[in-house]
Amino acid sequence: MLKRLILDAAYALHTSKKYQAKKTFFYNLLENDQYRYKKYVDILMITLIFISVGVLIREVKYPVSDFLLYFSNYIVSIIFFIEYMLRLWVSSSVSEIIVRRSEHDSFLGSKVRLSKAFKEVLSVKFSYIISVRAIIDLLAILPFFHELRLLRTFILFRVFKLFRYAKSFQTLAGVLATKKFEFITLAMFASIVIFVSSVLIYVMEANNPSSPVNTLFEAVYWSIVTISTVGYGDVTPVTTEGRVVAMIVITSGIAVLAFTTSLVVSAFTEKLDEIKEVKNIEDITKLRDYYLICGYENIARELARKLKRSSHQIIVLDENEARVQSARQDGFIAMHYSPGSMESYEKLNIDISKQVKAVLCLREDDVENVYTALTIRAIDKDVLILSLLMKDANRKKLEFAGINKIVYPQELVGLITKELVGKPAAFEVIHQFRSEYTYVDIDEIMLTPRIIENFPTIGSLTNKKYRVIVLGVSKGESDRFYFNPIDSTLLETGDYLLVVGYKAFISEFEMSLHKKVEHV
Amino acid sequence: MSSTTAMIFGLNKYALEIEANVKSKYDTVNIYALEGQDVSGKTIVTERFDLSDDWLDIAQSVDIENSIAFCVLENSAENIFLTISLRAHFKDLIIIAIASNNESANKLKMAGANKVIPIVETTADIIANVLERPISNRVLHSILYEESDLKIEQVKVLNAEYFKDQMIADIDWSRYKGIIILSVMHEDMSHEFIYASKLNSHIIHEGDILVVVGFEKDIDEFKKRIGSV
Repeated sequence: MLKRLILDAAYALHTSKKYQAKKTFFYNLLENDQYRYKKYVDILMITLIFISVGVLIREVKYPVSDFLLYFSNYIVSIIFFIEYMLRLWVSSSVSEIIVRRSEHDSFLGSKVRLSKAFKEVLSVKFSYIISVRAIIDLLAILPFFHELRLLRTFILFRVFKLFRYAKSFQTLAGVLATKKFEFITLAMFASIVIFVSSVLIYVMEANNPSSPVNTLFEAVYWSIVTISTVGYGDVTPVTTEGRVVAMIVITSGIAVLAFTTSLVVSAFTEKLDEIKEVKNIEDITKLRDYYLICGYENIARELARKLKRSSHQIIVLDENEARVQSARQDGFIAMHYSPGSMESYEKLNIDISKQVKAVLCLREDDVENVYTALTIRAIDKDVLILSLLMKDANRKKLEFAGINKIVYPQELVGLITKELVGKPAAFEVIHQFRSEYTYVDIDEIMLTPRIIENFPTIGSLTNKKYRVIVLGVSKGESDRFYFNPIDSTLLETGDYLLVVGYKAFISEFEMSLHKKVEHV
Repeated sequence: MSSTTAMIFGLNKYALEIEANVKSKYDTVNIYALEGQDVSGKTIVTERFDLSDDWLDIAQSVDIENSIAFCVLENSAENIFLTISLRAHFKDLIIIAIASNNESANKLKMAGANKVIPIVETTADIIANVLERPISNRVLHSILYEESDLKIEQVKVLNAEYFKDQMIADIDWSRYKGIIILSVMHEDMSHEFIYASKLNSHIIHEGDILVVVGFEKDIDEFKKRIGSV
């Protein structure tokens, strides 16, 4: 009967969307660095830690108000306790273990043995409880029992909780962990030297009345201070034998220090690229509305520079290390990943539909661009894909791959020369309007409800005052362009005004559109 | 009688695109392949040239003053050498050259090209416009390159009396329904935006070239009024 109840409860929890959603929410809040609200929880916890430590320091010599003591000992401890329990809860799923065991036993045709499931649950939870992080969390709760004077110093353990919230500490620990074997070897060597030298100095000096080394503790203290090359000088050997030991310890100390330094440096050197990549991935995860440039060759470089100048965010993906380095030197976030591989987007945590404004396939190679476009289309059906076309014969293949916009440089050259020989002056004018290096610009202004309220018709616009030409209106719904519309043309929300004028005047004109005007 | 010739130096994909786009505007289009270049399999008829040519054949057979040269060799150094060689022999020839990057573009200008098309920069410009200003890009592309009713034209003023000695800043351009005046061209092909402060006190006189945008029939009407037709 009890077994049935437990199984029913486990299945209910395991299949409950509400329960799973809540658990996922708390998991994200506490453990998922990519979750946007986690940082607020981290900031709250860090603040509580500093308040607790501040109260502890203040309390040493000065009286502290009862409220602060109550807050530090009880409120903070209760918050940490809740956090501890939530972390214990989300660390593993009890219902999942029970359900898995039930299905395993049922599949084999034997009776469901809950005892095995509970054993597994205990094992999983216990392994979490004895993890370093969980132990620090637990110690941070202990000041709750503040009547025990000793336990109040456990407030200091709250400082260790900072490791949990500061990623640089985690990075440091991760880097040093890669040299675990070397550090253990070093620790063994240092321990043996300390032990042997402590015993030797004790034997040589303890019976000498003028020697400050009288106990084994003082001998160990001297050894550690000497081997670490600190050398306070409060305890020094006075016998010749003792000084010989000191020379050996000093020499060993230099070796230990040099070995430690080289270990830390080599660990960081080896992991530097990895650390940078992790940092870049984290940065990419936080970005929104960026252009994803796939392939960094000449046109990509020039375009990236232009887009950057217009304050657009850009991420470059390329499978060629040299091109990635070139993009990085140009100041872009560039990742050495294949743009044509699904795995790249998974590893980089790129959510194309939410983060990417447009994908630009800019390899000067149609085969690569088609391959990348198909990969992107398989991930997201709607994102805008623009691609270079290098051979006109491949145009249909690019269209078939789902590319929305195709740019064919050779065709552009042909069209430009046609205009150059036909209407050179007109071509120059338009070219200059489009160029980023001139003062006169052509721009698009989207009409908002507020603008429409103030300026309902073309005739009501104040463009002449700002010496701005309205070339026409693009109607939002029909996407049709009306050139030089008559004054009575009605403007609507979502329409775009196409204007030509000095950049500064266009800005002023645009600002004036948003200001409230008094209609007489 | 003068005859117009377009000379395209270099046989490649750019040459073929240019040939397709300019053949309607010139009596003859000649494509010159560099000596030694393999032209087998090419359907187009080409002539040969060498970078050390003294261009005597061209000087004798082509009306240089009414012709244009396109330098489209893919090797930047060769293209610059070709440009400087043509300029050294033909002072008045209009030379349009393509450049793979800005550095080559500057050198081509120094070598005497009248107009340089930097491929990389132009393509990047077009892509940036497609992404950032899709509407203006569509409209301008349609005005410049496509067969639409909307045209951009350069119109020479032959009947300045029509403007009654008014200064540009004082003219109510909205009277000219259907068209928009964008710029006034100078003789050296440089131009001033119609609202430029330099033009405030400019009185339109005969010979001025106005750059106008409008529907074909409205531009024709405007041309009639200012005596351009």
